[in-house]
Amino acid sequence: MLLQLNNIFKWVNSGGQRIFLLKDINFEVKEGEFISIMGPSGSGKSTLLNVIGMLDGFDEGEYQFLDEPVHSIKEKHRSNLYKEYIGFVFQSYHLLDELTVKENLEMPLLYKKYKGAERKAMVADMLDRFNIVGKKDLFPAQLSGGQQQLVGIARALISNPKLILADEPTGNLNSKQGEEIMELFKQLNDEGVTIIQVTHSEKNAAYGSRIINLLDGRMI
Amino acid sequence: MNPIFLKIALRYLLKNRLYSFINILGLTVGIASFVLIMLYVNYERSYDTFSGSEHVYRVYMDYKTGDVFAPGDAQVYNLSGPTIKQEFPEVLEQVRLFHMGGVTLVNKETVLGENVGSLADPSYFDIFPYPLIKGDKNTALVEPYSIILTESLAHKLFGDENPLGKTVSTFWGNDVPMTVTGVMKDISQNTHMKNSFLISFDTLWTWEMFEGQQELNWANNNFFTYLKVAENSNIAALRKKIQENDADGKVDERHDIEALERIHLHSNKPYEAEANGSANRVNFLSAIALIVLLLSWLNYVNLATAKSLERAKEIGIRKVAGAQRLHLVWQIFSESILINGLALIIALTLVALTLPWFNGYMGQELMVALPNLYSLWPFFAFILLGTFISNLYPAFILSGYRPAKTLKGKIQGSSQGLLLRKGLITLQFLATIVLLIGTLVVGKQIRFLKNQPIGAQLNGVVALRGQILDQPSDSIKNKDFQVLKKELGNLSFVDAVSTAQTYPGGGYNNLPSFMGITKPDGSFEEQTVYYQYQVQPDFFKVMGISFLAGDVFHANAYGGGNDIVVNEQFARKMGFSNASEALEKEVKYWGQTWKIVGVMENYHHFGLKTVIQPMLIRPGTATSSLLVKLDDSALNPTQLESAMASLQSKWKSVFPESTFGYTFLDKNFEAQYNDDKKFGEAFGFFTFLAILIALMGLFGLTSYTILQRRKEIGIRKVNGATVGQILSLLNQDFIKWIGLAFIFAIPISWFAMNRWLEGFAYKTTISWWIFALTGFLTLFLTLLTVSFQSVRAASANPVETLREE
Repeated sequence: MLLQLNNIFKWVNSGGQRIFLLKDINFEVKEGEFISIMGPSGSGKSTLLNVIGMLDGFDEGEYQFLDEPVHSIKEKHRSNLYKEYIGFVFQSYHLLDELTVKENLEMPLLYKKYKGAERKAMVADMLDRFNIVGKKDLFPAQLSGGQQQLVGIARALISNPKLILADEPTGNLNSKQGEEIMELFKQLNDEGVTIIQVTHSEKNAAYGSRIINLLDGRMI
Repeated sequence: MNPIFLKIALRYLLKNRLYSFINILGLTVGIASFVLIMLYVNYERSYDTFSGSEHVYRVYMDYKTGDVFAPGDAQVYNLSGPTIKQEFPEVLEQVRLFHMGGVTLVNKETVLGENVGSLADPSYFDIFPYPLIKGDKNTALVEPYSIILTESLAHKLFGDENPLGKTVSTFWGNDVPMTVTGVMKDISQNTHMKNSFLISFDTLWTWEMFEGQQELNWANNNFFTYLKVAENSNIAALRKKIQENDADGKVDERHDIEALERIHLHSNKPYEAEANGSANRVNFLSAIALIVLLLSWLNYVNLATAKSLERAKEIGIRKVAGAQRLHLVWQIFSESILINGLALIIALTLVALTLPWFNGYMGQELMVALPNLYSLWPFFAFILLGTFISNLYPAFILSGYRPAKTLKGKIQGSSQGLLLRKGLITLQFLATIVLLIGTLVVGKQIRFLKNQPIGAQLNGVVALRGQILDQPSDSIKNKDFQVLKKELGNLSFVDAVSTAQTYPGGGYNNLPSFMGITKPDGSFEEQTVYYQYQVQPDFFKVMGISFLAGDVFHANAYGGGNDIVVNEQFARKMGFSNASEALEKEVKYWGQTWKIVGVMENYHHFGLKTVIQPMLIRPGTATSSLLVKLDDSALNPTQLESAMASLQSKWKSVFPESTFGYTFLDKNFEAQYNDDKKFGEAFGFFTFLAILIALMGLFGLTSYTILQRRKEIGIRKVNGATVGQILSLLNQDFIKWIGLAFIFAIPISWFAMNRWLEGFAYKTTISWWIFALTGFLTLFLTLLTVSFQSVRAASANPVETLREE
């Protein structure tokens, strides 16, 4: 089992009222799953994804990641955990505009303990794997949206995470580009990478093995 | 301007209190510093300016050393002025002044000591347009023994009586009655030639004190001489003619002229009427003022553009609602004007409030008259222009944002704009590093001046002086001085006593000099100025001056004699490499033969700004000061007052009718560096302000860059960067700029401070540690300022910054 959420609550206090963002979320994810989180705007999809990615905290409940209790371990330990096991893919790619494709891919490795030669090999490997060797010296602004997202996924994958969290990865792409990205996810999943994506599209959700539906912070 | 804009602006200021405060404080400090320094600079530049002053020149002497002529004496012969006027038609008028200090004026019971004034030709008022309140300026200086008093001096002496026609006892050496023929307005303090009275020049021919120089000659050059030159004269040609004129028949010297207005800041010759200012100092201060002001504007631009990012959304909404760019420029501009106007008002109030204190500190009346204010208009124009430009820039940047982008929150300052800001901040660093190095060098030099042994022990030596009002005869007076000397010597806390003509630190006052000496080898030399003065043999004990060879001279029965003590420099000039070789050798000057009986160690008579001059001391009865060496017990602060009281009572018991005053020689010697000390303090103070402003600017830029890089920081954190790694990422840029600024700052400050040190004959070194310390300090302060914000940015939750729009 990769992770397990038990009775997760998250809220904000606003004007004396408690507004629940997440309400009693329970589910578990096994390695190799491909899960889609769906729901209307404001239903808490992104919040849930951030909680899973340990970018955001929660107020109540328990969260086990690879048998580590995320709710009670220290911040430093937690960040080591997600640094090692989780990769993120964003709707708007979040590539650094001032860095080339190659440098963007290398960037996460700088924050882990890899030697220069190792980094180079890993970047070359990733460029190869995604067929973007020819683009390695281009800047994000010189790429199409689909290509940028490709780089974003490559970056998420570069340090071999067990889990990819994708927040509407095709939201900014046209349908053909979107299809290609989803095919890529499928292929990664077949290779053993666990994927959790947030999506609006039934079609994209169908790539996954399981769908979690949210409404007003609650699973339905 | 639409009042609604002003209302919005005010609301905005109140909402962003910290930002407004930093902004207004920075501008206030910048403007106030600039105005204060410029008042001072303007005052220094205003010396000797009056209607027509541009046509007035001073005649001085050049002396030849080797093959080149160099300025050698601010005073010239009594024939110089009249001869030049006669020879050259473009010289319309000339005036000779014999400057005299320490004059005591007495009217019945009223005794006023320590007055400074001059003997002056009647033409004085044709050149210097000081109005006479009473008397006729055409006749007041014609008759011998006529005196003109300034208004305040006349009031002190005569109260409300009309002084015209009354008699004033004038003590200068001895007592001479003078008739008051005029009262002039007080002469403003911004002149190099301060006179509180004028005596008719023709008094000189019969006044006993001038015995030996009572004829027109080319021998005694003790006269300040000023020329009034016709408008449109060719000054360069006149100067050349005066230099080439050989009326005095001397090969090794020549006459020269300089503009009156330039004397205070640019002339530093032997025998000036007073210690002049320094153009160097004034230029340095002007530069500091300019830097501080520019820094405060840079700071403003940085903060305003940084802040503008936060307002981009507001601008976008306004644009969508139909605002034209010009509307927005106007709105932002009116806000800026509000801030700058406030700062200007606060700054001017601050200046007005601190001016009395500043005046006291500088020892000057900076705002002497309204015309002075008018002459400041270029500075105010400069302030307004700078304000205008620094306000326009942010307004145009901000109003240029595209609404579609800003509404989505996607604002990206152009990379050019960022480069400009980086350049500005590097410039700020450059300026502050240069100033910091300057402060440290000035401080080091002033410590050096204080700690350098001067070759005489001034500590505990006090010079007593006073005007003896009831002893007209010199010989009786001298006998009384011997009595007093003995009495003082008997006091338990007195180590030694001597009379002397002058003393170390006394400058050129009472210090005669000569050129033209027959050396022991018989050769005659006329190219060096030799200084000499009279003392009693005890002088050397009082001053703790040590001998390299030989010993103190013995005075003859009359207190005089022809045995002399010379300094090492003198011995060297005479051609002796070893001090003992000079002993028993004879030199000739002033038509007499003098025998060297002792060679003393060089001591610094003029302070460390001047190189050691060849000097000799001879026995004599001059009593300009009575030097008393107190022992350590008397110097104890609790004892000092009673010690000084007993000195005074002894003085009064021997000279019941007299004035009494004293000077501590160590303080007097250090006072030579007062201007430098104050310069150092001002330098340090304004450097501190500059750093403060620069750091505030940095604070602004940091918030700007961090805002710019929020997304990047978030992405990096999501990808595993730690707080420490983000911090070093944010800080390394600043370190880079400081490094760059530092590299440029080193040669600039090295060059500038060497220029400043040129004003000192003896100077400290610009050590490497000064640069190291400055670099370290700048880095430390910068990282402190930057980290204040970058820590917060680095530890922010990336979810916040990366939230999908």
